[in-house]
Amino acid sequence: MTQTGSGFLTINTEPLKSVSDIERTTLMTLIPARIAGLFGGRRWRSLAPLAVLIVLCVLIAIANPNFIELRNLVRLANSAAVPLTLAMGLTFIILMGSIDLSVEGTLSVAAMVVVLLAANDSNGNDYGWWGVLAAVIAGTAMGFVSGLVQTMLRIPSFMATLGMWFIGLGLSVYMLGGSAIRLNDATIRDLALTRFLGLPLAVWVATGAFLLATVIQYHTRLGRHILAIGGDEDVAKLSGVNVVRVRITAFALAGFFFGIAGVLAAAQLGQSHAVIGDGRLFAAVTAVVVGGTALTGGEGGVVNTLIGVLIVTVLANGMILLGISPYIQQTVQGLMIIAAVALSLDRVRLRIVK
Amino acid sequence: MKDRKSLTLSGTVSRRTLMLGATAGVAALAMPRVLRAQEKPTLVTSIRSLSNPYHAVWKTGAEAYAKWAGLEHVTLVSEGNSEKGIADIKAMLAKTGGNMVLNSDPNDTPDARPIVEACAKAGAYVVTQWNKPPDLHPKDFNPNYVSHIEFDGISSGKTIAEILFKTIGGKGGIVALGGLISTTAAIERKKGLDAALAANPDIKLLDFQVANWKSTEAFDLMGNLLTRFGDDIKGIWAANDDMGSGALEALRAENLAGKVPIVGVDGIKTAVDAVRTGEFACTVTSDPFWQGGMGLAIGYNAKIGKFDPTKEPPEHREFYGKAVLISHDNVEEYYKTNVDAKPEIDWNDLWGRVTGAIRT
Repeated sequence: MTQTGSGFLTINTEPLKSVSDIERTTLMTLIPARIAGLFGGRRWRSLAPLAVLIVLCVLIAIANPNFIELRNLVRLANSAAVPLTLAMGLTFIILMGSIDLSVEGTLSVAAMVVVLLAANDSNGNDYGWWGVLAAVIAGTAMGFVSGLVQTMLRIPSFMATLGMWFIGLGLSVYMLGGSAIRLNDATIRDLALTRFLGLPLAVWVATGAFLLATVIQYHTRLGRHILAIGGDEDVAKLSGVNVVRVRITAFALAGFFFGIAGVLAAAQLGQSHAVIGDGRLFAAVTAVVVGGTALTGGEGGVVNTLIGVLIVTVLANGMILLGISPYIQQTVQGLMIIAAVALSLDRVRLRIVK
Repeated sequence: MKDRKSLTLSGTVSRRTLMLGATAGVAALAMPRVLRAQEKPTLVTSIRSLSNPYHAVWKTGAEAYAKWAGLEHVTLVSEGNSEKGIADIKAMLAKTGGNMVLNSDPNDTPDARPIVEACAKAGAYVVTQWNKPPDLHPKDFNPNYVSHIEFDGISSGKTIAEILFKTIGGKGGIVALGGLISTTAAIERKKGLDAALAANPDIKLLDFQVANWKSTEAFDLMGNLLTRFGDDIKGIWAANDDMGSGALEALRAENLAGKVPIVGVDGIKTAVDAVRTGEFACTVTSDPFWQGGMGLAIGYNAKIGKFDPTKEPPEHREFYGKAVLISHDNVEEYYKTNVDAKPEIDWNDLWGRVTGAIRT
């Protein structure tokens, strides 16, 4: 994905690596590499996540034909909506070689803002869709602050966003007073309950988020610059990329997506409590990585992430359909993650594995 | 304590002031406990977090009692960190000189021992709830360790299961959502479900899945379960209300809300509302308002000598509290007394909700 269309801005590091690397590879990485070589090498690799997804779907469908029922596909899309929107934002950050741990904090702030401003069972507010707007702005602001902290205070994104995570969580605990507050605004709840062409509106919103992210990544300067920074920040800087501005914008953009996800989550659950984001960070990072975006940055993209999110969602759905005991589901999930990453990352080219 | 404070404040200290200060300090420490206890004790609540509705209500109950009794009240929050929970309690013991009453929901089972030992050493009175190791007994720390309160998870799980079965007409398939696998409450409530299932052979448990106490996880899980079993699902048993409400929203997205009854445990507001609308068949609550207030009341009454813990029967030292069932029959009344208004509890009725000694 990254090679096509990104032109001179993508820094292709391949020629920089010495030929002797191949001698250091082990048997385990060599064999899949050879197989991959038969099918055209790197192009095959970039399709590996898609192959995993297809194999997974076929296997589950054989075991339980209910899987391909229309109703189930709609449910799959519905439960992928929030993770997809989140992962869109996260993809840009990971593409830069940074990480955003504030996913859960930002999401809970956005959910808190929308619930407290729209009709709810705790205060008399009834601002309707202004609440949604405010929630998305709040999410964007959180991301913007993360970016500022990272670039201006020169704090690594890991710590900066960890801080923002706790700040956001603390803020929503305080504002919600520790309890769950119901969202009573019918038009916002319609995001989850009303369907258009058979799909809940939340799915359409998530699709919109995906399209927006695709446009940003492949058709804007910002998208190219993010990729360039992830590939090699020094080179990008020397080429005249304003790294600070790109980083801040990217974090704000991520916050924007987290904000939308927060609204969707609140609409789906019909309530907001501080822990509404619990477990979402891990799911989002998993989806991004399983989709084939490298944590080191510069490789992958939002299309990969779409496939990653689908893999994770299909897997969760499939395990229930297959009746896998809840006591071992996590183990299966772990195995799948390792397998997917093993297939999609070109480990032959990894000189160092940290 | 006093001398140390003067030391830090004055900077330069002559030998005489040091001696004077030290003597005063030693004298203060040597004063019999009784003398110092004449000051009103501080009430201390130690809970896991304020970010869940359960402990938030717990705190309001504690504050209501403190107000009623006219005492100082402090809430300590461990944020799920056992070390912090214990350290905060020790700091409070030091601050109050042991002149306090603690009502604690220990973060984890092993925490109860260091908490009780620290309180006994400092002369404070302590009541624990939910978590304690089986070999830790109030009678071994007379009189400071007054009581330990739990709620019978087996009976809660069984009661809601039976009401669910009755609601769906005694036959058909149900799915169950369990809590975090390793927790006692999750294990006990499931045992209760199993017991009810054994007594109702016409009810089929289609699947038991774990949603880790969370509505978000239950929401996704329920969608998947609907795919697998479709209309075979006649009812949903959830080990807590939060998961039950997540399942309810998944049903609502499929236009099934109210058609498939749900039961849960905890009595959170969302669930009580759902019982009113008929979307939940029932919920059962340990009444955190009562837990927060009565735990302090029992400790305080022991401290001021209203009763002597050493002379109380075993079922007042380690007991199961009475859970309150909220179903279609009593939900309106419950709503009036507990949701619209602050619950009225007779804080003098210390043992009114004892249902029996804890199984060993």
